[in-house]
Amino acid sequence: MALLELKKVSKIYRQGDFEVHALKNLSLTVEQGEFVALVGPSGSGKTTLLNVIGGLDTPSQGTVHLNGDDLTQMDEKSLSHYRLMQLGFVFQAYNLVPVLSALENVELVMVLQGRLAVERRKRAMHFLEMVGLQDMINRRPSALSGGQQQRVAVARALAAGPRLVLADEPTANLDSDNATALLDIMHKLSHEEKTTFLFSTHDMRVMARAERIITLRDGSIESDETVQTHQ
Amino acid sequence: MLIFIAWRNLWRNRIRSILTISALAGGLALMIVYTTLIQGMSKQMINFATNISIGHLQIHRQSYINDQDIYATMPWDLLSYLEKKREYKFAPRLYGAGLGAAGKLSTGIMLKAIDPEKEQQVTTILNHVRMGKADLGQVQHADSSDPALVIYGVVIGAQLAKNLKISPGDELIIITQAVDGSIGNGLFRVSGILKPIEPNFDRTGVLMSIPAIQSLLYLENGFHELVVSINEKDDLIERKKSLQEDVSQWSKDNEITKYKNGDPIVVRSWRDIVSSIADMLDINESIIYVIGGIMIGLASLGMMNTMLMAIHERTHEFGILLSIGMGRFWLLFMVLLESFFLSLVSAIAGGLLGIGYSLYLERYGIDLSGSLPDGVDIGGILWEPVWLGSFTPDSVFIGIIIMISIAMLASLIPSWRTVRLKPAEITR
Repeated sequence: MALLELKKVSKIYRQGDFEVHALKNLSLTVEQGEFVALVGPSGSGKTTLLNVIGGLDTPSQGTVHLNGDDLTQMDEKSLSHYRLMQLGFVFQAYNLVPVLSALENVELVMVLQGRLAVERRKRAMHFLEMVGLQDMINRRPSALSGGQQQRVAVARALAAGPRLVLADEPTANLDSDNATALLDIMHKLSHEEKTTFLFSTHDMRVMARAERIITLRDGSIESDETVQTHQ
Repeated sequence: MLIFIAWRNLWRNRIRSILTISALAGGLALMIVYTTLIQGMSKQMINFATNISIGHLQIHRQSYINDQDIYATMPWDLLSYLEKKREYKFAPRLYGAGLGAAGKLSTGIMLKAIDPEKEQQVTTILNHVRMGKADLGQVQHADSSDPALVIYGVVIGAQLAKNLKISPGDELIIITQAVDGSIGNGLFRVSGILKPIEPNFDRTGVLMSIPAIQSLLYLENGFHELVVSINEKDDLIERKKSLQEDVSQWSKDNEITKYKNGDPIVVRSWRDIVSSIADMLDINESIIYVIGGIMIGLASLGMMNTMLMAIHERTHEFGILLSIGMGRFWLLFMVLLESFFLSLVSAIAGGLLGIGYSLYLERYGIDLSGSLPDGVDIGGILWEPVWLGSFTPDSVFIGIIIMISIAMLASLIPSWRTVRLKPAEITR
């Protein structure tokens, strides 16, 4: 069974008198451990697709199954629980809670999951070490660079033990060096933790590291290719 | 961790939080100080009513209450009976009216006769002599060597002394109608002038001893008024009831009810006697919380504004928290917790400020003696020129509860906005 399975998913937004078809009859499967890039021009439906998979938005038609559970049948509370236990999120920017340190930010999701303090601390330290921030655990986001903040966000997403990490243009606000470093970390963790990554991007450097590239255009999949990585 | 986040968020915008805390703390401090001042005024008035003149309870015949009937006396046996039965302090009084004259001046006067020893156990009226001394005893007439010619000392009201142009040591002639219908008259010596503690007494009052009025009015078989002092902590209504039962029983046993067509002996509390003051004090108690609520309510608008701005600024952050799986309830709880901390810090600051200033007012008060040297008469009760506060911890406790409740209510509207946030739109 595929980890993620979307069947004939459509998403229609209403803007005044007009209907915008953000996703059109889209079907997709993603297996566990895949490192998938969603690419396409602005307005092609990348963010909408990630929101639908993340349970942040509901599709107008179709079904979304993660590990066999149908998201479209879940209520608000169940979706929140689903996001908490099954998913990890990395957003474009301003990912972190400003009043918490890097360590506390990584622990936050595990607090919500109800994990014990000792386990939380151990896992948070482990993932911060994996993203190379073991010396900055007590720094607040304002004392970290953009790249370091994104690395904390990756550590937070993975520390929760998700089946799938969704990243919406994670390198959009980073310079070339930081973007490359972040991608290397995500790729490495994907393999070591056997976690599935699905990220949207415009960035050619990101695409170069993806193992599968799904190209969207006007809400539909234009191409879906498995590629050789340049690691 | 939510507690940490809420607490730290409080200090994200220090200036804004401090301004909000200042407004809330100021409102609470004002409420505490206002309560202290109003309770101080009430206490002063109650103290005047109970300690200076009226006492806690008074006993009269009903006809004396109705029209100051000079014949409506109560037997001296009643005083002995009550003194044996109860451990309260009792002071009998007699009243009369007449004409006071000094030199070529004369005016209508009111006679009030007391037993100085008993009176001092019940009221402090004799402690309020402004000039001279509170000597109601007999003295030798200054112009006579006849040892039989002695006169009684009297203490008179300040305005009366001014009207008759007399001062301590001067003589006062009193002319009145005795109870047997004859003209009673006597020569008295002014031993002291009383402070203006009661407007009527100030203009017309002459305080004398019971033997003095008895010799003037030939009124020897009883007294008009019995003033009672109970323990201040005792329940006034309950004591009044039990004393009324004693008096009624005594009246029945002594067939006193048959006297003057069954004219009963009545026990009244100071709240019955100066009911307008008692009502005013009750209203004051209610107004304290209304005014306090308004003060804090206005300050809470600042709180609402702060929270609205804070939530508006952090919409994206809340979207992230919702996205990573924080439930809406927990998000609401976190924001409310932030409001609670803001209220709590304000409560501590406002409480300390209010307590500090209230304790100062309790000790030193507000001195109005420059503009009101003799105080102000409010409904027959003197309000002294130094307005002392009366601080009670209850006012702080209630103030804090009111403040936190209003502040939390004010923060509900902005907090509720977090519940309606759509993470997909926010994080886009």
